[in-house]
Amino acid sequence: MNRTHPKAGAAALAVRRIVSKHGKARKNLLVILHDLQRNREDNSLWREDLEELARITGISISSIVGTATFYSMFSLKPRGRHIIRLCESPPCYIMGEENIREAIHDALGIDFGETTRDGAFTLEPTSCLGSCGVAPVMMVDDEIYGNLTREKAVRVLEGIRAAESRNAAAGA
Amino acid sequence: MKTIRTQILLCAGGSCISSGTDSVRSAFERELTSHGLADEVEVVSTGCMGMCEIGPIAIVYPEGIFYQKVKADDVAELVEEHLLKGRIVERLLYKRATTGELLETINSIDFFKLQKKIALRNCGNIDPEDVREYIAADGYEALGRVLTAMTPAQVVEEIKASGLRGRGGAGFPTGMKWQFTAAEKADCKYVVCNGDEGDPGAFMDRSILEGDPHSVIEAMAICGFAIGASQGYLYVRAEYPLAIKRLDHAIHQARDLGVLGKGIFGTGFDFDLEIRMGAGAFVCGEETALMASIEGRRGEPRPKPPFPAQKGLFGKPTVLNNVETFACIPYIILNGAVEFAKIGSEKSKGTKVFALAGDVVNCGLVEVPMGITLGSVVFDIGGGIRNNKRFKAVQIGGPSGGCIPAEHLNTPITYESLPELGAIMGSGGLIVMNEDTCMVDLARYFLDFIQEESCGKCTPCRVGTRIMLHLVTKICNGQGTMADLAKLEELAPQIAKTSLCGLGQTAPNPVLSTLRYFREEYLEHIQERRCRAGVCSALMWAPCTNACPASVNVPAYMTYVAKGRFEDALRIHLMANPFPSVCGRVCPQWCTKKCRRADLEGPLAVRLVKRFMAEQRQDYLDLYPAKDPANGHKVAVIGSGPAGLTAAYYLVLRGYEVTVFERQPEVGGMLRYAIPDYRLPRAYVDKEIDGLRQLGVAMRTGVEIGKDVTIPQLETQGFEAFFIASGCGKETKPKIEGIDLPGVYAGIDFLERAAKGENIPMGPDVLVIGGGDSAIDASRIARRCGARNVTIMYRRTRSEMPTNPIEIREAEIEGNKVEFLANISGIRSRDGRLEVSILRMRLGAFDKSGRRRPEVIRGPEETRLVDNVIVAIGQQSDADPIAQTTEGLVANGYGGIKADAKTGATDRPNVFAGGDLVIGAATVVEAIQAGQVGARAIDQFLCPNPARKYPWETLALPDIDPDLDAEVQEMEPLHEPLLNPAERLISVEVERTVSPAEAMREACRCLRCDYKE
Repeated sequence: MNRTHPKAGAAALAVRRIVSKHGKARKNLLVILHDLQRNREDNSLWREDLEELARITGISISSIVGTATFYSMFSLKPRGRHIIRLCESPPCYIMGEENIREAIHDALGIDFGETTRDGAFTLEPTSCLGSCGVAPVMMVDDEIYGNLTREKAVRVLEGIRAAESRNAAAGA
Repeated sequence: MKTIRTQILLCAGGSCISSGTDSVRSAFERELTSHGLADEVEVVSTGCMGMCEIGPIAIVYPEGIFYQKVKADDVAELVEEHLLKGRIVERLLYKRATTGELLETINSIDFFKLQKKIALRNCGNIDPEDVREYIAADGYEALGRVLTAMTPAQVVEEIKASGLRGRGGAGFPTGMKWQFTAAEKADCKYVVCNGDEGDPGAFMDRSILEGDPHSVIEAMAICGFAIGASQGYLYVRAEYPLAIKRLDHAIHQARDLGVLGKGIFGTGFDFDLEIRMGAGAFVCGEETALMASIEGRRGEPRPKPPFPAQKGLFGKPTVLNNVETFACIPYIILNGAVEFAKIGSEKSKGTKVFALAGDVVNCGLVEVPMGITLGSVVFDIGGGIRNNKRFKAVQIGGPSGGCIPAEHLNTPITYESLPELGAIMGSGGLIVMNEDTCMVDLARYFLDFIQEESCGKCTPCRVGTRIMLHLVTKICNGQGTMADLAKLEELAPQIAKTSLCGLGQTAPNPVLSTLRYFREEYLEHIQERRCRAGVCSALMWAPCTNACPASVNVPAYMTYVAKGRFEDALRIHLMANPFPSVCGRVCPQWCTKKCRRADLEGPLAVRLVKRFMAEQRQDYLDLYPAKDPANGHKVAVIGSGPAGLTAAYYLVLRGYEVTVFERQPEVGGMLRYAIPDYRLPRAYVDKEIDGLRQLGVAMRTGVEIGKDVTIPQLETQGFEAFFIASGCGKETKPKIEGIDLPGVYAGIDFLERAAKGENIPMGPDVLVIGGGDSAIDASRIARRCGARNVTIMYRRTRSEMPTNPIEIREAEIEGNKVEFLANISGIRSRDGRLEVSILRMRLGAFDKSGRRRPEVIRGPEETRLVDNVIVAIGQQSDADPIAQTTEGLVANGYGGIKADAKTGATDRPNVFAGGDLVIGAATVVEAIQAGQVGARAIDQFLCPNPARKYPWETLALPDIDPDLDAEVQEMEPLHEPLLNPAERLISVEVERTVSPAEAMREACRCLRCDYKE
């Protein structure tokens, strides 16, 4: 995938904006990385963004990458526009999480760590989302969906895709 | 001016939101406006109310009427009926599971009644997004008092006096932690809140942050004052976006109000808070890793000392406490340490929030006083196990904790008592597990989680957890050895001792804990390649076959029945079980409890299909497994019940000359003399026993071994080995007054007499004491003998009854009544009738099997007049004559013979025993299994060959492959075709055989779990 932004200057500006919002200090690194990731359509940390970050803050690129790769929610690889986080902790596991994983695979063709070809969804496992009362549970972007059945999980995802196309059509 | 007359509280905790609270709220707003009620009725969205299973929840105040599972479509009715007409909508009320009673208010529901809310005091009662509601609930008054009327030292003393201990898991005394940090001299200090609740199954902190964020903010400010800090950080995991949003909103509101920031309440105290987000690393729940993460570094723990109190965040003295710990602080300041310390045990004060998850009826959040028993939380508050399955264990403390089995349900939950059992309090996640959980698989599961979350810094954890995971996985895959087990047991304590942080130190706990209480499961996996829970698929042919005591190849015969090949089906069945007609009528069906089809429409009706299949042939001779040529050895089987007959069956197939000795006039044991005709007509018993005679089994009736002839005497007649399966046919009589009066019968004795055709006169009023199959059968026979009012009296409750629920249901359909929690203490003659003294019972503490012990309630004397009493409380064996006349055999003191249930071996090399005689009154299919064990034992004794495979062990796929591309179509499962009560008076048997079409259609539902690609 071609990851060189046509307007490289704009990208650096975005990084600068994010850093000045939170502050250059090392302690703000995690929240900056979250924003950098959210700023990219493929929900990942772009090398050039991290390099610009290193330049602005004075933190070495190896330290930044070392920190980013420690945390499971950061990705250096491109991902989908929407991240599906399927909880595989015991309460969800006991209540049939594997069924949901299979259903998503059957409907979207992706398994853990994979992204749909149209770049809409990436499926990731996650640890407990704290909604065990309505297990099995998945989180898509920032929304929690519980009491999942095979049908409900697929319905939710298709709904997101449909809403996206509607917005795109409206915006176009 | 608006006068609000009614408030509707809607639970807007994370779980209820995902169940649809938002649409319910919109519906309420719409309906209220359209009915013109918007100025009188207020809708408030609150934090988590705790009972996530039945959300969305709506409570109507001031009455406190509790509505569950409210959907947007229900709202119109609720507004019209309840708000306008004042009529409660019953169909949305909570129903008590055991009695079906409808409960109207929140305080009448056990789940809420038994809780004591301190940390959760406001959750579910206030709108977390409106600081004024927090203030109305005495919010920020504690901070005000602290800043204006107390010194920092006094605050610390108050927290110390309360006895509050860290609720994050380790339980360190909070007051002491604050004191150490307060004592440090530094230019700046910090307060940090640990909101990185990562334990699977734990959502206490989440609910507090979402439902009552100000309580944490206030507490952190109080802490700042006490230790001398003016800056705090709230570290919240990124998986909780709603909590972060609510906290952020709350912090802004607090600042606007002036309770955060500079010069709070007009004093010189400054304090402010910042939120820090995690990024998906479980280890960041550990305090040093958490602080590293706030500092923007890799979340790796570091050695302690130095402790955070001395050198914490950014190297400064820091208090780091859990969300729940902080939530208790304002309460302690306002109500006093003494009030808090009144609750709980000596060393564990106050309350604890638990998140109940797993196989329990009421999943959700509960807050209980420390010292409450585990059993009370699981059964009284949690409502027990779902679907009437059996409780197996509770996992406490998440992946760092341990499991606690049924025998410890009476343990009070305190910081002191749990470590003695090998568990830890942890953050409060309680995962309840039923009989379908494999404890080895559970250990593997937690190890997998820990191994992935290991930060990698220290070798014992990084490498050690990997090795432990590898070994346990091997065991689950059927490749484990005893050497692996030894290595696991050697490694686990070492990893605990040498790891750098709490994650590694507690990583071996799942293994150590499951090994402590469920070692037999590990041994079964390794030595017998068996998974009793039916989980480890590498060790199972199919879940049904695995669950069947006789290992019948269910998927294979289902496949043949589905295709109309009934004889092939029968052939398969007869390899493991020679009694398809009998079992097709009386088997309790272990198989259906593990049937995977249960996840769709319902489990397969295996017994009904089996019964149909067996009736397709009157004679099985050509379908039995091939018979070996005569081998010249002579074997005696004592007892012609299903255990003895099965042993005889397999032995005759192996070429032995077999004689079965029976003391009754006819063969069959319980099949003929206990199980009633209307459940098992004698014709079918005769049919299947005749089959064995055709195979060559000789049967001699009217001969009692130990009295008419002894084993040593039979040996002189050429018998070389013996299988004793004389069963458990003698009634256990309680030692109470009047037990031998005329008109009083012992259960098994009564059944035997009825089976022999004796006319037993029954008066109109009959009382049956007991709760097992014999009691139920006796009650139904009593009715058939002329009784009109038959009452079964059982000393426990319906869910503890050991019998098949279908049997009780049928007894009730036929008109019998069941009284629970009742027993008798004596019987007397009075006016030609019987007067019984009745005891009322109540369920007390748990016994070792996890059932509650019935206790007598002392009350006024209660008597009842009846015509007959049948006492069916238990059975025992009667084999002492055999033990006494056979040298080397040891009686077991209960009328039975001492033997190993797994091998059939007794203390005498050529004598084996099995069935009810050894394991106590059980079922037909378990007796068949005992027959298999006995046959193998004798065969290996007389013609040893360890490599020989027996018919019930040769599991093979049928010659029909499943259609893997076929879509699974949902079909209504088959139900028992039971005759209605009127029909039952005419016909003998109460159930019909299903038709070929019905059987074949049901058999098609089989998912072919035996077929693994």
